[in-house]
Amino acid sequence: MDNKRVPRHGISAIYVDQAREAFAQTVRARDPRSPAATMNKPQVAVGHDIATIPRPNRHRCKNPNNPACPHCSAVIIPAPKATLPLEDTPSISIEDWTISTRKKPILNSKELDEWETILGGLTLPEMIFGNSFVRIENEKKGWCLEFNALDALKAVKVEDSGIRVSYAHKWIKSKKEQQRTSELDDNSLEIGQHYDWTYTTNYKGSLASDNPPFTRDDSIELPLDKLTRPDPILFYDDMILFEDELADNGISVVNVKVRVMNERALILSRFFLRVDGVLFRVYDTRVYVEFDENRVVREYKEHENDYNAVLTKQNSGHGRDPKAILRDSNWVAQQLPLVKRECEFLQL
Amino acid sequence: MNFIPCINFQPRLTYLSFMELDRCLELLYAGQLLPEATLRALCFKLKEKLVKESNVVHISTPVTVVGDLHGQFHDLLEIFEIGGAVPNTNYLFLGDYVDRGLYSVETISLLIVLKLRYPNRVHLLRGNHESRQITQSYGFYSECLNKYGGASGVWQCFTDLFDYLVLCCIIDNELFCVHGGLSPNVQTIDQIRIIDRFREIPHDGAMADLVWSDPEDSAGDANSPSSTSTTTHFQVSPRGAGYTFGRSVVEKFLQLNGMSRIYRAHQLCNEGYQVYFGGLVTTVWSAPNYCYRCGNKASILELYDKDHSYFNVFEEAPENKLLNNAATAPNGTFLRDYFDETVGPVDVFSDEYQVASASKRHVEYFL
Repeated sequence: MDNKRVPRHGISAIYVDQAREAFAQTVRARDPRSPAATMNKPQVAVGHDIATIPRPNRHRCKNPNNPACPHCSAVIIPAPKATLPLEDTPSISIEDWTISTRKKPILNSKELDEWETILGGLTLPEMIFGNSFVRIENEKKGWCLEFNALDALKAVKVEDSGIRVSYAHKWIKSKKEQQRTSELDDNSLEIGQHYDWTYTTNYKGSLASDNPPFTRDDSIELPLDKLTRPDPILFYDDMILFEDELADNGISVVNVKVRVMNERALILSRFFLRVDGVLFRVYDTRVYVEFDENRVVREYKEHENDYNAVLTKQNSGHGRDPKAILRDSNWVAQQLPLVKRECEFLQL
Repeated sequence: MNFIPCINFQPRLTYLSFMELDRCLELLYAGQLLPEATLRALCFKLKEKLVKESNVVHISTPVTVVGDLHGQFHDLLEIFEIGGAVPNTNYLFLGDYVDRGLYSVETISLLIVLKLRYPNRVHLLRGNHESRQITQSYGFYSECLNKYGGASGVWQCFTDLFDYLVLCCIIDNELFCVHGGLSPNVQTIDQIRIIDRFREIPHDGAMADLVWSDPEDSAGDANSPSSTSTTTHFQVSPRGAGYTFGRSVVEKFLQLNGMSRIYRAHQLCNEGYQVYFGGLVTTVWSAPNYCYRCGNKASILELYDKDHSYFNVFEEAPENKLLNNAATAPNGTFLRDYFDETVGPVDVFSDEYQVASASKRHVEYFL
């Protein structure tokens, strides 16, 4: 339906930009806290809203085709898809910091071939959002951290993970039986190609090589008090980097979320693995940036447990559909014991 | 749920008139659910038909081959727009009708009624998702409970029917169609004919491999002849169960059975189809923007005769965009609203749209 609105012969980019700017101006001119807008935002307490109202023009919206923010009328929650053939990379800048995201479709077969060469020996996951990213950078200090699928997959080991699906033992046994009775010809029952088919990745984001390094200090904690405050979210995005259903034996997915408030930003990159009947893994990387202090904290946590240990914890309330909750990585993460934690910081 | 109590025949009734089936089609095309009693009768009747069919069905061109649908009901309707409506076009569906998408119940209901109404025009193969175990984990089970209530037996009814679906189809005596691929337990097509298929898909054996296995087109074919001996045969997946099959397996199978090509589904591909081994094996994928977020294209394969075919590539149905758009889809709207003529094109620049879409966008205070 939308397609019919796009003029046949195209408009040059400069007019499109002007049109966007004109539209943005009308949007900005609107009353930021109109009843229609605030009514639908119950999570923002009114008193709080006034207390933490952002200073005007502290953040700069760089994506004028997005709708108005109910807090300041200038934002910027990214559109799911660009409607014009221009590059749509929604971003927000606060002081020297810029956070940008891009969402693109899965890789096509030509790109997949290229990636196969780069990642040699890894059979690629079913869905790779290889042109999507979340990026946070400080232009003044020349520092940049990015989350993308290619680097996340580079961290997957091209060797035997030692993990097998729940029925693997039975499967191999029955094949050996068939071989003995010569129903099968000389097929080798060796695994053809070893790689970590669970795509377990300890990816913590990609830093350019000339960036100043983090300093390891496991005693640092993320400031939960600041992060649990319902400060208005000025910019939010949520995307998958890659996903595989493990031939319907569970799920392996890397998901990145970012939220930007007036004084700080939080990025969560989560690797979630469920191998049905075998195990769960949740590996979380959190990047926390305090804009005014130019301070970055990166925390990495590994959680892991047996499948059945988690299954027994959901005995109440899900009688009819017990497996539904096992798809919720937040719930699963809370049930898993912490196996490993690292924390590091960077003062720019 | 709002069922229209229009058809009051009993499940045990063995006679379904065309008029009744046409009434079902009318409802389904309008995006409505059928009453549970009707579904029971339909499944019962279709089982009766399918039980007489061989594991391998023979049909002839012209026919349009459709790959995975995964509950993307609007895209199925789009396929009928693009490829022609039943019964004007013959269709072969390669399986995976349910799970993942939001409208598995509508999708499989429509296919069941079409199969009953036009048994020689519509052919349904079994995919790996037509199974009790898989549907419990990937959405169809939950969807049945949500749409028909916890006490209903709809999911059992559908999954019992799945046990009767046929496994393979041969077009014009030389095009072999299957959901997944080949099996080391299957050298000849007669070995497929003797499988006892009226059961849940097992983990192991010919029936599992037919709906599960994938071709492995090793890029190393050309440059290292030594590797071809190992990579062109069957290989066990590193998961510890299941096979991938290489070029020599395909060549041997085709030659032994007098077939020329294999068409299969089962694997997502961005372009809607994927050609392996120089055209000996082709994947057809028919779920555009898979899971409503992959952004991939889809295709249906139109076979005019055994040598002439066309991949009709398409993108997601416009209704899906509306579905995803919170501003135009108020909570609890029924599917039929999207087919309602009064819903005109949406003015994305209107104040109402902008406010609604900004306020309904998902924002989460994650930690």
